[in-house]
Amino acid sequence: MERSDEALCRDVANREPGAFDLLVERYQERAYRIAWSVVRDREDAKDCAQEAFIRLHDAAGSFAGESKFSTWFYRILVNCCLDHRRRGRGWRRLLVWRDAEDEDQTSDLVERQPAPPDDPGERMDEDQKMSRIWEAVETLSPQQRAAVTLQCREGLATKEIASVLGTSEATVRVHLHRAFATLRRRVGGTP
Amino acid sequence: MTPHPSDRLLPYLRGELAAAERAAVDTHLAVCAECRDTVRDFATIAERLARAPEPAPPIHWGAFRAQLHEKLDRRQRPVATGRRWSMGPVPATLAAGLAAVLLYLGVLGPGALTPGGNQASLEGEVLDGRLDVVSQLDLVQNLDLFEDFDAIDRLDPLAPSQES
Repeated sequence: MERSDEALCRDVANREPGAFDLLVERYQERAYRIAWSVVRDREDAKDCAQEAFIRLHDAAGSFAGESKFSTWFYRILVNCCLDHRRRGRGWRRLLVWRDAEDEDQTSDLVERQPAPPDDPGERMDEDQKMSRIWEAVETLSPQQRAAVTLQCREGLATKEIASVLGTSEATVRVHLHRAFATLRRRVGGTP
Repeated sequence: MTPHPSDRLLPYLRGELAAAERAAVDTHLAVCAECRDTVRDFATIAERLARAPEPAPPIHWGAFRAQLHEKLDRRQRPVATGRRWSMGPVPATLAAGLAAVLLYLGVLGPGALTPGGNQASLEGEVLDGRLDVVSQLDLVQNLDLFEDFDAIDRLDPLAPSQES
């Protein structure tokens, strides 16, 4: 029978040979995908995912088993990604006027405006929408992207996302609602 | 009509709301076409996000793991190396200091550390009285005093004739 993630994490804490490699193989793709959803850069995403695994290796003994291993690990991962973004943002602020947060506020203002009338002639077909949906995700703030990816790709519940992002369930609901409202505005909804 | 339950629409879709909250949203949806449209569109978007092809650029997983292990080793290495560096000089310094003190006591005698007295005259007196030891300087230098403290105790019996 396959060992659970939680049992493997305990094995990593006890420095059991092979346990760490097994966990890495299980989570590497998800870790990279989530990291990419936040940092939007191949090399940065790879670095963040690797950093998360290194922190997992070092902190495996502190996993109390009160939550699922995946939730605990995703929290480490998202923290790595957000730390990475914060480090980079200091430099970017010297170069650009607005960062993602500013854009987020702007989108909130747009959100309050009445929706433009739907023009069927301009509506994209379903394939185009499918291909454009992740492009539209790029316009979201890092927290919104993380919440969307964790919910729609990893299937986490709002409560689990709150635990991963280290915030309240109410805040996650707001992040997700704003994210979906932005996507709806940019790509459209009903086929 | 109740206010739009905006941030509860997604949890509603995912079946995460408690019974009372769900009932409240149901009641609102029954009378609000705008929220019904939103729920329908959100469901479509969620489905697209789940089905859309993986957007992250592909990477080589073998290289990913190799690089990860390399980073892990590099993080662990400075700690181990640092220990070697920090453990090495301390005993050597202590041993050298101890040997210097013992040598000083051996040359000057037990009263050397007593306070008072003219140090220059004391040194002259010692040099006069213990020239036999100083004359064995070559022998002393050839002894590995820092590693074999017993040699210090046997300095006196060692005569130049024993050297050969």
